[in-house]
Amino acid sequence: MNNKVFKSFKYLIYFLPLLLPIFVHNEYYVHGILGRIIIYTILVASLDIVTGYIGDISIGHAGLFAVGAYTMAVFNSTAIANAGGSIHLFYEWPFLASLVMAVIITAIFGFILGFPSLRSSGPYLAVTTIAYGIIIYTIINEQENLTNGTKGIQMTPLKIGSLSLDGNNYLWVIYPCLLLVMYIKNNLAQSFWGRAFEAIKFSSIAAESCGISKSYFKISAFVLSAGIAGLAGGLFTHLDNYIAPNTFSLDFSILALMALIFGGVRSALGNIIGMTLVVILPDLFTWFKDYRLMVFGILLLLVLFFLPNGIAGLVRETFEKLFPKKINTKYDLLKLKNIGEQISLFDSQKASSVTPLKLESLEMRFGGLVAVNQLELVVKPGTIHGLMGPNGSGKSTTINLITGLYKPTNGKVIIFDQLANEVAPNKRAGLGIARTFQNLQLFSDLTVLENVLVGLHTHYKSSLFSILLGLPNVQNEELHHQAECLKWLEFVGLSHLALEKAKNLAYGQARRLEIARALAMRPKLLLLDEPAAGLTTTEIEEFNSIILKVKEHGISVLLIEHHMDMIMKISDEITVLDFGKKIAGGIPSVVQKNTLVIQAYLGSEGEGA
Amino acid sequence: MNQIFQIIVSGSIQGIIYALIAFGYNLTFSTSKTINFSLGNVMMLGGVIGFSLYVDIHSGNLLGHSYLFPIIGVLVAGMIAGTAIHKFAIEPSLKLKSEFTWVLATLAVGIIIKNAVEQIWSTGDFRFPSPLGDVPFRIFGTGIYPQEILLVVVATIIVFGVESFKKYTIYGKAIQAVSEDKETASLMGIPQHQVVRISFILSATIATIAGLLVAPLTFVSASMGSSLGIKAYAVSIIGGLESGKGLVVGGLILGISEFFTARYISSGYKELPGFIILILVILIKPNGLFGKTMIKKV
Repeated sequence: MNNKVFKSFKYLIYFLPLLLPIFVHNEYYVHGILGRIIIYTILVASLDIVTGYIGDISIGHAGLFAVGAYTMAVFNSTAIANAGGSIHLFYEWPFLASLVMAVIITAIFGFILGFPSLRSSGPYLAVTTIAYGIIIYTIINEQENLTNGTKGIQMTPLKIGSLSLDGNNYLWVIYPCLLLVMYIKNNLAQSFWGRAFEAIKFSSIAAESCGISKSYFKISAFVLSAGIAGLAGGLFTHLDNYIAPNTFSLDFSILALMALIFGGVRSALGNIIGMTLVVILPDLFTWFKDYRLMVFGILLLLVLFFLPNGIAGLVRETFEKLFPKKINTKYDLLKLKNIGEQISLFDSQKASSVTPLKLESLEMRFGGLVAVNQLELVVKPGTIHGLMGPNGSGKSTTINLITGLYKPTNGKVIIFDQLANEVAPNKRAGLGIARTFQNLQLFSDLTVLENVLVGLHTHYKSSLFSILLGLPNVQNEELHHQAECLKWLEFVGLSHLALEKAKNLAYGQARRLEIARALAMRPKLLLLDEPAAGLTTTEIEEFNSIILKVKEHGISVLLIEHHMDMIMKISDEITVLDFGKKIAGGIPSVVQKNTLVIQAYLGSEGEGA
Repeated sequence: MNQIFQIIVSGSIQGIIYALIAFGYNLTFSTSKTINFSLGNVMMLGGVIGFSLYVDIHSGNLLGHSYLFPIIGVLVAGMIAGTAIHKFAIEPSLKLKSEFTWVLATLAVGIIIKNAVEQIWSTGDFRFPSPLGDVPFRIFGTGIYPQEILLVVVATIIVFGVESFKKYTIYGKAIQAVSEDKETASLMGIPQHQVVRISFILSATIATIAGLLVAPLTFVSASMGSSLGIKAYAVSIIGGLESGKGLVVGGLILGISEFFTARYISSGYKELPGFIILILVILIKPNGLFGKTMIKKV
């Protein structure tokens, strides 16, 4: 009950600023300062999507902001307001239509900006965003017929009937937009979309193996972000009813980025706090106006090094310290457990008689080096197939060929009767394979539960639209999947750590989490890449029992390992590699006695022995 | 014909200026895998300090002492700036191991330097008379300033000097080892942090020298470094960070394209072709024209 009062109180506060234009008549603070904060915060929220979630720094968002602002100006401005300028064509569209246009056109610009991010990152990508911003800045400065150049565009003040939406009243237009943006951003972040973004950020290879298309989600993030930046830009045009190119320089991109970091990424509160500080500080302390940038610079350094999660992070941590019970209300584990009782794992993975994996005279060359040479391998349905060999024998190359990271120079990879040579890594999940990684590839800042949820990615059916609006069916689907993931965690014995961050797990636990994530994909063939590396003997025992349980449910396993004891104990069949070539194959007891295998592992004692 | 020749010469000299600063980016990128966004403003610092030690700001006349003063001044300023940037922006960023801390930290330092110069020194533009005089040579009808020749010569000496230092001395090899593989270099007893710091000092000093050399060709002002810094950054990316050949090629592409655009299209658009080329290069060769491609490994 108390909680409900608290919640309705919260919503009341959300809508409180709408009353300001009625009661406060100070133009400077309400229209000038608050209006600016609101619009700029929308821009920061848009930047947060690419920088906070996808992890790509954009130093060009002022450019996107400018596209939105100028689209609004070009479509909405009137001939009367701009007498004597260089523009001769005025569309004089209504405000809303122009705003929609601003969002759409900026989204298209975002689509283009997204492409460089697919293949480059870090310093390479940062400069591309700078260049993009400067190109837009140059064009709005120079294309006088479209933008009136440096003289800028005047707007006619907004009005609905006799109600003016200018001045303080403009708050009624922009504040709901801010609420809407924060609402959809929050919905996005909580959904499988938001998790896909973060999965790509932490390990794009693991994300791809979970069926997440890096290109699709990255481009989408840039489009979404640009759309929101376009909205902010479109709204900005009417704030002062005048825009000129000067506002949209590189410095503004940097300022937005600063605000994002001040406040803290991935947080609506952070976006607001950050921008508020950037706008208000110079206004509060007029004496430092000239030194403003220096103070910002020093503040930025301090925040970067002492508050890595920004001011919102500090607020959150203090809050958690004061009210420890309120932590993690995001997931209600008891409720999930109840829902989980109706879910049975391994349901859809009934053993079939189709051969899960067949490698036919597979060959992989790197220049002159033949890493895998004429390899023949068949994993029979419902069995555990061991692939072993000393270091450098081509095991990892083989798994990279099976998962699609490399394209074979010769031969065939056949997965469930389908030739898979050309299938992209993220599409192989759809063929029924899942994998774990030799060197752990967990999404370290996500919780254990969320890591497994990423594994379920391809099983989500909700459309982006219903996610953004937070429709009830999205909630149900999410709950159902969370419950299933909790069961997977129980299966591998990690359910007690469901809400812990993945990076805090011990080594053995992390290995089990990778298995849970792979199993959540409901594969029919599980690839385990050296799962025992670094584990203790007891941990290996536990691991063996998990693998055998998986097999019992009809899932085939390809186990890559050089830990002899383990592979001999649980494999039904073994293939041994040395220098990229198959040197032995068959049931464990036979392989164990093969002289070539013994030589490969122990070395020979010379010709005579 | 003559005009085209003039454009190519002037564009190439502009390109060499970019390449020289870009060389500073490459030096620190190779050891620390970061880009020092404040380098443009460090260059400006060189110009401003050189100017203050050589010219009277109020009258615009020379102070009358030897050119050695500004030279020593910018060398000291560069070393201090490099040490400070490393200490306050890079070292703490590297400790955090975050993807973007260094971007913002070095941006912040750049902003601080620029704002400080504006407040302590001046926000105006000043002419810096060249120590070699301001009368251009005429070679086949193409005008070249003596300062431009000085710049090209010093840039060449710096680049070859540093490259041979890296190649032929044990300290240089330590830098190369760190840029190849930090951990292994560390295990071999190379003081990794020391190497990173030295690369920052070297890079900042090159930038301040560049500032002193460029100042007579442009104006001295607190904002002279902003756009030069970004364009030099673009140059090092077009060429591929860690590639010496790339610097020269990237610099020439950007410099010459600017002069051609300014002459035949409009000076307002002169930066556009360079940046469009940059984006195209990134799309086609994500590691620059001469950059190393990395092999994905799991």
